[in-house]
Amino acid sequence: MDLLPSPEQLELVGAASEFCAEQLPVSAIRDRRDEPNAIARKLWSAGAELGLLGVSAAEDAGGSGLPFEDEVLLFRELGRRLVPGPLTSSVLGARLASLTGHRDLAAAIVAGETQVGLARRRDGDEGLAYSVTGRFDLFDAPDAEYLLVIEPSGAGLVAKESLADVTPLACIDPGTRLAEASADGAPLLCWVSTEDDPIRLRGLVLSAALAVGIAEAAKELAVEHAKNRVQFGRPIGVNQAVKHACVDMAVAAEAAWQQTVFAAISLRSARADAEFQVLAAKTVAGRAAIGNAESGIQLHGGMGYTYEHDMHLYLKRAHVLDQLFGSPREHLGDLLAEEAAQ
Amino acid sequence: MDLDFTAEQAEFRDEVRTWLAEHAPAESRPHEDPAAMREYDLAWQRTQWEGGWAGIAWPEQYGGRGLTLVQQLIWYEEYAKAGLPSIDACFVGLNHAGPTLITTAGDEQKAYHLPRILRGEDVWCQGFSEPGAGSDLASLSTRAELDGDSYVVTGQKIWTSFAMLADYQELLVRTSRGEAKHHGITWLICDMRSPGIEVRPIETIEGGAEFCEVFYDEVRVPVSNVVGEPDKGWRVAMSTLSFERGTAYTASQVRLAELVENLIAAARERTGPDGRRPAIADDELARRLATARSEVAALRAMTYAGICRNLTAAQPGPEGSMLKLYYAEIAKRVARLAMDILGADALRLTSRWDRPYGWSGHYLYSFSASIGGGTSEIQRNIIGDRVLGLPR
Repeated sequence: MDLLPSPEQLELVGAASEFCAEQLPVSAIRDRRDEPNAIARKLWSAGAELGLLGVSAAEDAGGSGLPFEDEVLLFRELGRRLVPGPLTSSVLGARLASLTGHRDLAAAIVAGETQVGLARRRDGDEGLAYSVTGRFDLFDAPDAEYLLVIEPSGAGLVAKESLADVTPLACIDPGTRLAEASADGAPLLCWVSTEDDPIRLRGLVLSAALAVGIAEAAKELAVEHAKNRVQFGRPIGVNQAVKHACVDMAVAAEAAWQQTVFAAISLRSARADAEFQVLAAKTVAGRAAIGNAESGIQLHGGMGYTYEHDMHLYLKRAHVLDQLFGSPREHLGDLLAEEAAQ
Repeated sequence: MDLDFTAEQAEFRDEVRTWLAEHAPAESRPHEDPAAMREYDLAWQRTQWEGGWAGIAWPEQYGGRGLTLVQQLIWYEEYAKAGLPSIDACFVGLNHAGPTLITTAGDEQKAYHLPRILRGEDVWCQGFSEPGAGSDLASLSTRAELDGDSYVVTGQKIWTSFAMLADYQELLVRTSRGEAKHHGITWLICDMRSPGIEVRPIETIEGGAEFCEVFYDEVRVPVSNVVGEPDKGWRVAMSTLSFERGTAYTASQVRLAELVENLIAAARERTGPDGRRPAIADDELARRLATARSEVAALRAMTYAGICRNLTAAQPGPEGSMLKLYYAEIAKRVARLAMDILGADALRLTSRWDRPYGWSGHYLYSFSASIGGGTSEIQRNIIGDRVLGLPR
């Protein structure tokens, strides 16, 4: 049993952290709020060049072939940096393409040349044949050629051009691009059944990791503020009302992180209770991210209520992540239906 | 990173499981008569020692097995799965006094006390809190004055579980008044049979029989019973509490996970608040149960990670307070949830020792989780100051 990341594992995280600090400051989300895409193509490619999209991807697709938990460590950092763009859906899209023999597509995704957005079903049922029908919400699809569709029995990729009525919508998160679209027998380029590979569960763990990053970043901003903001002649952090709120954020973030690691390893090593662990991770991480960002706004007072401050960006992204691969209520229902943990 | 237990650890688990199945006490633990409690707990501890299961992570030279916290965790997991009662009377000896003596005590103290704790010969109790020194433990005022080769102790301790049936006490006394109030405190081993000690029971909200206050009237404690150095007992006490908050909670967490699963099973069987469907069909109860499952899972993940960290550390750091805080909040929520699932049946008085479920007893007992061992407010202060570095 070893749940602590090694120095080698943290190396990639460090490189990603530096890249984000230089190229993708959180403030860029505000600057790009009116652009069609939340992240510029050249930055997406630069991140891909650093290996951000291929940590767990097969080496013949240009990936690093590392264990899933390495990707989870990276995604926590990307969450902390609030990196925009179709991160999870592209990583999962490359995996789907790789598993179904679309090696060139997998390589193009890992290299940052092709983006995969997420299509979340709004209505209609899972198609019977090799196609999808119904109405969908599209996440981070402006530059995407494909969309990842998750159905109860599996996951597939569908070309964006096969969708109809793609209409951009304003999203609460200025770092996420939302649209709606419909599909009428849109053909699936590839498909992997849930039994063959748990794509949805991987998506939930990666979302949980991003959420943990948000929970930690919100906590760190709040703690810094509590140390530096002086009122009544003292830093506000001396007050237990403030200090204890910071501590609750720290405990929530730590619990969410340890459960996310536990879930990632459970999934990678095919533990019998992997789904239980993943749903638990998604639940605690989603709550930690939203809860911490909410507390973060309160602790920053008037500044926390302004658009100029970063905290609302964490809050808004936390809500987006919480809904991407099913709603939190569905996840609770699924979790209760599971057998007890091992 | 991995969650795998080695082949040796898996074998250890099998051995534990087999042994527990063969040696678990047949009769349930008494919970009203303190003398019967003492007898039951010490006998069961002695059986464990004879089987080679006492002090799994303690050094071999003091009668332990010399294994790691991973094997200790495996023991707790199998113990909880077997539905066995915690050996409450031995808790302080095994989880407070023992680890403190191992890190701090002199050779003679270790050689005498540690094997006796493991063999189930002595019950230990804690003498930290006082009526005027609860969360502000360092303001304690029970006096110990040097007289020849003894300290003469006068004062009062409170919230001392099992004092009426304990052999020894980890006793914090004031031996001098220094510049700061946490200077001048000394950690003593007090023989509870010494003349001048009076123990009075305190009844708890759950009707528990083991809570006490202890009065000291010129009680003589030999100087050789000082653990660590005189006047420098505060650091010893803090290390005692770090064990309580760090590793001693492992067993409680494993039990809490079992409790949540039992509660889910009960919610499937019992009729819910609408009087027709099972309780689990109620959306609110179902969501709270699922949330409890997720939180208990996270608590376990934190515990595992903490064990990995502690494998290389001499004693647990202040992060132990995060586990203790999280545990306490969840334990209370789960117990309250049990009350809501039971509805009017919760009004029937039960004990947490009842089998299969004494839910109302658990509910009343759960309030102690965020008070004992340092309140949740104090844990938050510790985490805020020492983990987050917030200003005091």
